Amino acid sequence: MVKLNSKSPEQMITEKHVLALREGFHRWASLELGKMPALGDARWTADLIYANWVQAETGRPPSNGLNFQTGNSEGGFDLLDFKFLPESKWLPASQEPDTSIPLNKRAYDKKIQIPIPFYGGGMSYGSISEQIMLSRARAAKKWGTFTSTGEGGYPDSLVQYKDNVITQIATGLFGVREETIQNAPIVEFKYAQGAKPGLGGHLLGDKTTMAVAKIRESVPWVSLFSPFPFHSVYCVEDHRKHIDWVKATNPEALVSVKVSTPTDVDMVAVGSYYAGAHIIHIDGSYGGTGAAPEIAKKNIAMPIEFAIPRVHEHLVKEGIRDEVVLMSSGGIRTAYDIAKAIALGADGCVIGTAELVALGCTRCSNCERGRGCPFGLTTTDPELSQLVDPDWGAERISNLYKSLQFQLRDILRKLGLKSVKELRGRKDLLIYRGNHV
Amino acid sequence: MSDPSNLLLQSRASLMSDENVAQPTYEREAEGGCGVIGIACSEKIPAKHLLQSLVQMRNRGNGKGGGFAAVGLVAEEFGTTQKILENDYLLAIAYLDPGVRTDLEKRFIVPTFEIDHQGKFDPVPDYRSINGLSVRPPDVHYYFVRVKESVFKEFQTKFKLEKLERYKIQDEIVFQNSFALNQAFYASLGEKKAFVLSHGKNMLILKMVSHADDVVRYYRIEEMRAHVWIGHHRYPTKGRVWHPGGSHPFIGMHDALVHNGDFANYASVSAYLEQRKIKPLFLTDTEVSVLVFDLHSRMYGYPLEYVIESLAPTTERDFTMLPPEKQKIYKMIQEVHMHGSPDGPWFFLIAQSEPQKNLQRLIGITDTSMLRPQVFALQTGEATIGFAASEKQAIDAALESLAREDKRFWSRADRYWNARGGSHTDGGAFQFTIHPDGAKKKLICTDKFGHEISIQSAKRPAYDRTKSTPPAKPFAVKLTDTADELAAKIIEKMPSWGYGEVLGILSELETSANEDCNRGRAIQVLTTLMDRRHPAGNLRRSSLISLYDESLARIVESIKKNPTTAYGFRDQSKPSQKPASPDQTLVIDARPYQPEGPDSLSNDLVKMYKLGFRRFMVVHAHGHRFIGNGFGIDSKGVRMDVYGSSGDYLASGIDGMEIHVHGNAQDQLSQIMKDGKLVIHGDVGQTFMYAAKGGQAYVLGNAAGRPLINAVGKPRVVINGTCLDYLAESFMAGDPLNGGGFVILNGIRFDDDANIMELDTPYPGGNLFSLASGGAIYARDPYGRLTSDHLNGGEFTELTDADWNLIKPYLDENERLFGVPVTRLLQVAGKTVSPRDIYRKVRPGKVRALQAEEIWVHKKN
Repeated sequence: MVKLNSKSPEQMITEKHVLALREGFHRWASLELGKMPALGDARWTADLIYANWVQAETGRPPSNGLNFQTGNSEGGFDLLDFKFLPESKWLPASQEPDTSIPLNKRAYDKKIQIPIPFYGGGMSYGSISEQIMLSRARAAKKWGTFTSTGEGGYPDSLVQYKDNVITQIATGLFGVREETIQNAPIVEFKYAQGAKPGLGGHLLGDKTTMAVAKIRESVPWVSLFSPFPFHSVYCVEDHRKHIDWVKATNPEALVSVKVSTPTDVDMVAVGSYYAGAHIIHIDGSYGGTGAAPEIAKKNIAMPIEFAIPRVHEHLVKEGIRDEVVLMSSGGIRTAYDIAKAIALGADGCVIGTAELVALGCTRCSNCERGRGCPFGLTTTDPELSQLVDPDWGAERISNLYKSLQFQLRDILRKLGLKSVKELRGRKDLLIYRGNHV
Repeated sequence: MSDPSNLLLQSRASLMSDENVAQPTYEREAEGGCGVIGIACSEKIPAKHLLQSLVQMRNRGNGKGGGFAAVGLVAEEFGTTQKILENDYLLAIAYLDPGVRTDLEKRFIVPTFEIDHQGKFDPVPDYRSINGLSVRPPDVHYYFVRVKESVFKEFQTKFKLEKLERYKIQDEIVFQNSFALNQAFYASLGEKKAFVLSHGKNMLILKMVSHADDVVRYYRIEEMRAHVWIGHHRYPTKGRVWHPGGSHPFIGMHDALVHNGDFANYASVSAYLEQRKIKPLFLTDTEVSVLVFDLHSRMYGYPLEYVIESLAPTTERDFTMLPPEKQKIYKMIQEVHMHGSPDGPWFFLIAQSEPQKNLQRLIGITDTSMLRPQVFALQTGEATIGFAASEKQAIDAALESLAREDKRFWSRADRYWNARGGSHTDGGAFQFTIHPDGAKKKLICTDKFGHEISIQSAKRPAYDRTKSTPPAKPFAVKLTDTADELAAKIIEKMPSWGYGEVLGILSELETSANEDCNRGRAIQVLTTLMDRRHPAGNLRRSSLISLYDESLARIVESIKKNPTTAYGFRDQSKPSQKPASPDQTLVIDARPYQPEGPDSLSNDLVKMYKLGFRRFMVVHAHGHRFIGNGFGIDSKGVRMDVYGSSGDYLASGIDGMEIHVHGNAQDQLSQIMKDGKLVIHGDVGQTFMYAAKGGQAYVLGNAAGRPLINAVGKPRVVINGTCLDYLAESFMAGDPLNGGGFVILNGIRFDDDANIMELDTPYPGGNLFSLASGGAIYARDPYGRLTSDHLNGGEFTELTDADWNLIKPYLDENERLFGVPVTRLLQVAGKTVSPRDIYRKVRPGKVRALQAEEIWVHKKN
């Protein structure tokens, strides 16, 4: 039988939509159509979204007048600026400042270094599609950095990227098995999430498809609520035991402890250090998914720009700052946010939403209900998830990383710093632009 | 305001007013969990027997605080008389700066007290000789004192306390004097100088910046004896400089409290205290806890039951199960004192002396949600000893240490149990009280409600280790007997035996085990004897287990001396070798290994597995954690037998292997277990099978709180006893009739003659199968005790033939493993009934669907 066309109607429909979407990301960002009405919000402004799309396409920040540095939130990183040196004191363009950071500062255990001071945060299979997980993993592999499984299991397709995949252990322990712990160079305990401190992860029933339920071994179409906190951890000594458990299962692994930013976050950090964590990851309140309950979003935890210096300075005071890596997340959108977080005292950042924006997220907040994301990102709908091809996705994320690194080097050069490690804790290099003092 | 307790509180008004109490110069200390142990004994026992327990729980502290309290002391050890010991306050003061002693005595001791006797502890000359000590511990002076009559009169008159008993006024004078002393020499100073360790009668506290066992070593009190001991390792998480004042125990008046946990409402409890003229000085949640305890017991004069209720309130279903008159009183207590009730995970141990009645007491109280691990134990013989601790292994360590030196004790308790916090059944609290009994003392253990915890088997003589019992030869062991035949024969005959016959048969087994071909049989017979609950006539089970342990230890020694192709021995000092044969059992003595970390037993087991070993026999475990972890994907064909006191997280993540725990097991077992089989010949601790994905588990006894929580996939579990609470919360294990998971709860126990008895209820807790979306509970409920108020989202449904066909093979295996006959399980009051008349199924309810989509799915089903 002669095939007139080897493509099925579904494939052709998908291709049509994919083409249209990609064309859209390109054309809107070029501003040839002007700016879209009602895109973005004060934190993620239309400019920041367009600018991200430009970077995801070109690997460079935009030059068409888009503000790619700050949003309009009138708070947080948007009111901080750098005290750049006069141009005469900049490092020469020929000098490339070092953007790498170590992820293990302890005297023991495997040394892991990442060439850029950030890696991808946890997003579970179920909250996002397998295609998105693959896009992120491929980009992480290309850059020698990491992405994280989130709490939803470890799809087989990720195994070939295991050296760049962090296994997250969260309170529901969904999809966590010995081999997924053993696969991972870094194991991340998620105690809490900045977007919803005091609540466990949750995946509403409509996104718990047969495939999602299968990997989590739960009942399909039933909402999955992870408890808060871990039922096996109610005290710091339990926490230490919990970390020892991971080390018993995978003695090679580095351990990251992800916590939100309650008022005693500094003590939580010290406790985690004594429990044996290599990385303390504090997650502030701006981040998180569209799926976090409204009551929790931005309303509970401490803003990340307050939490970072508080933890950093406390670790310094305790004399343990140089034995532990402090990663920060929760609303890190741009290279400038990363640099500011580091100047406030973090070693590096963890990014999530910025990667989804690179893949076409418009921040429409339709993440949790129905089939999920209309752009095929935060969905496990078998049709919608076709909209992102992992290779295309990996390239977009990779380009974004390239642009972030490019800008970080630019910032460092203008501050006269040879390495991003020299920027850490240099609050003196920041200016507060607000009038709330 | 004429109420005496209020007058007494009023007397503090000026002392504790804001003007007079400077804000302490340090911040509130943060701390997390800790390791605790408490011992109460009808005999005075030396401190050194706590050492091994504390060494084995070092991983629950971080060396930044340790301490002890001892109650019921020996007068001669302090160079004084019994009369002075019993009547005087024993004021123990820690001098961080020894130079302030004269000044302190002049200001706070001489004016207030008559000193009948004084002395000091004689520590090791160089504190650095104790590994890990980074701060020089304080010098400790003690003073046996009475309140001066003139001071008493002045205080009595000033605060119009004529109606109050004399001793109560004296107590308060001592309390306030210590407060002022601490304020002057500790809290208000940048550089801490001195503080009061303890001031109660017949009690002493020592504490410093270290692990608790270092306190014993540093002050050289190994031989110091007392009726009641509590010890505590601390895990503070803030500060670079620690002071011994922050270590536990903390004091009320005649009580010392240690605490494992970290509660959330420190501010609320502090405010509650402040309203009652009480100011904390050391700013830890433990200090406020003991202040609340002291307020309720000494100032308000509440009976202990009500004090416990105020700390760990009875709530939810448990409250409704209380008798109406108790509900009335408890409601009043809760209404008035809820803000002083610590909220969050905690476990308190209190050592108390009650000088008016010459009583000494150990109290263990657990929080309403049972969020901290806790085990109680009791052994009754010529001496009676009770325990409360964070881990069972710590109790066993103390008993073993005692048994080695004092023949009145043996290495196993008669009973181990967990408390149900804030429950209507036991109130989550137990007290061990030492009463005068003629010239001797006796120990009585009661729960919160005053019900005595008696050991039924106490009427049977324990094996007398103080004299030698000649072995007898009850029958000739035939070479042709298989292990099963031999074990059955011994079990059949034992009811007519004395200990001599037991010794005789054990000795014969041991001798036979010198030959390779009989080793397996000897081990198997001993194991069956340990595991199987069987009638033993006039012999006591705890004594028998102790003898079996010793016998097994000797067989292990013979394997160590003479390893063979059937039984190899892991000698760490030699290079590791591959198994001599594919079936070789590798015997591993756990004692040289660390409980966790690079030099842990669990790591070495993985190493040996990678070398090719598939059969493991782990002996002498004492709290070793993570046993069986790290074997990775598909470990089918591995069998491990664990003897001794295994630790937390055993069998976590296993995927195919089989582990048998010969005895009780601890907390967090089988977290994320994937496949395989776990058999526990005893009880299991907290959060058993948290988020398990599959596998089978059989538990002979009870599970503590929160078993199977968040489990998914297809775990299949038989629990013969019961669980404390929260069984299978958020269970998501599919459809049991279609490959999913379930829990069978048999609700039985064994009496001392090994008869199977029904528990009062198969499930005493208030939360059964809450918010579950998959799986099922099959509860054996012969008397219909389970009601819908146990459920939150689940529903009862009739057992179908398909259900019975599903669970029957698991009950058959349960019978094979534990000797619990299915025929017996189908009996009610001696009469056999059909399965559906005795087993009830609980399945996820369909009414509580959260969303339209969920309802849609349920409609389709």
